[in-house]
Amino acid sequence: MTDPFIQTANRLQTLTKVMSTKAQIAQTPKELVWALNKAKLYRYTPVVPAEKRHPVPLLLVFALMNRPYILDLRPGHSFVEFMVKQGYDVYLLDWGAPGPEDKKLKFDDYTLDYMPRAIRKMKAISGSEEFSLLGWCIGAILTSIYSALRPDDGLRNLILLTAPLDFSNKQGMTFSKWVDERYFDIDKVLAAFGNMPGEMIDYGAKALKPVENYVTNYLKLWDNLDDPRVVEAWHAMNTWVTDNVPLAGGAFRQLIVDLYRHDKLMKGELVIRGERVDLHNIRANLLTVIAEGDHITPPCQSEPIMAKVSSEDKEVFRVNGGHIGIMAGSGAAKLTWPHINHWLAARSR
Amino acid sequence: MAEEAGKNNKPFDPMEPWRGMRDAYLDTWAKTMVEMVNSEAYSQATGAMLDTYLTVSAPFREAVEKAMLKTLEQLAMPTRNDVISIAERMTNIEMRLDDLDAKIDQLLARSAQSSKPAVGASTSAVRAPQPAARKKSRARTARKGRK
Repeated sequence: MTDPFIQTANRLQTLTKVMSTKAQIAQTPKELVWALNKAKLYRYTPVVPAEKRHPVPLLLVFALMNRPYILDLRPGHSFVEFMVKQGYDVYLLDWGAPGPEDKKLKFDDYTLDYMPRAIRKMKAISGSEEFSLLGWCIGAILTSIYSALRPDDGLRNLILLTAPLDFSNKQGMTFSKWVDERYFDIDKVLAAFGNMPGEMIDYGAKALKPVENYVTNYLKLWDNLDDPRVVEAWHAMNTWVTDNVPLAGGAFRQLIVDLYRHDKLMKGELVIRGERVDLHNIRANLLTVIAEGDHITPPCQSEPIMAKVSSEDKEVFRVNGGHIGIMAGSGAAKLTWPHINHWLAARSR
Repeated sequence: MAEEAGKNNKPFDPMEPWRGMRDAYLDTWAKTMVEMVNSEAYSQATGAMLDTYLTVSAPFREAVEKAMLKTLEQLAMPTRNDVISIAERMTNIEMRLDDLDAKIDQLLARSAQSSKPAVGASTSAVRAPQPAARKKSRARTARKGRK
């Protein structure tokens, strides 16, 4: 029988380690192939011989205000690792952390300066004129805008994960209430901070479910300190959750004013560098993945794009889970990843 | 069998009933809190708190910024705005270099293709950037260059 004092000491040591260190994350081998300002394009080292690989490369675009390594969290629990093993030529666009000099960056810059250049580089390396895009969360907004503005740029497949695109249902979105112009003075916030601080964004995301995020999450760890599998998963996720990135002021203003308040993208009124974004221009094969239990991007925000696009080949895939859980949770490797692979493999030949 | 026996002989944990009560309480609390943060009153209250903080802190922030600006000027050192301006110009230069790099790749690919006409089309991968983006970046560079 283990001495209860030793057991308690072991538990406390584990707790201290998990709370005070960062987990080993993003370990799938990759190479930096392009950079512009803070943005970096990585190519993951293929493990499948070139002749057996899918010829159409896949570019992953994550949100602006979180680190993209949630897509490559830890070995054996990594979407990137999974897709590389399935024979895809996988690229990741990491937006980096904007500094004070980037406070004017808008969706315009991300979609018309950064993305086309990163895609050009990807095409040059892969030797393929066609490519697939996967956008998650705000990354899905960027990929949708890009796809609508540059429909002839070679985009064959578009995958949108938990995409916040429709902002018409104000009652269904807690964020929408918080950033209502009666209560939230965006000019004052951006005048004070320049960029939207990562800590404020993190607070906003956690405050949607305060008990789960501030209490239950830690109790779950405490209850499972003796289970290395749970501890390892918790540690990796906590490393990601606490690694916040500010959101460029210009992009934050567009997100709040143009999208949350005026729903311009879905109404066809969003103008990016003088060009109106018409979702009808999207003709690529489209897969929209919706998390049924998503409290950050409720399903009502993701589905309406299906009726707007011109794509003949389009599909909605619903998964039980939350905003992050559908791609990084315990069920992701059994449900979401295989479905994405199955859908994409048939369209990447 | 051994596993089953192990499960049946699981030592009594005096904290187990407490844990059950705790989780039930937390569930109720979580639902109440979600309702609370969804209310208009919560939006109004958090908005008012943030607004008050920003209003109260603004004069101090401005005073510190002005003092810092004067100090840096007197020491003949660049201010944050100077650094920001240079960083913005650097990004524009980076973009132009990226475009030049792509054009050189394109030319090399074309010359390689013309010297090997039988080879497949894999070298034609580099595409010119979108005119709208290129024009804008040039315009911005030129504008900033005049400052």
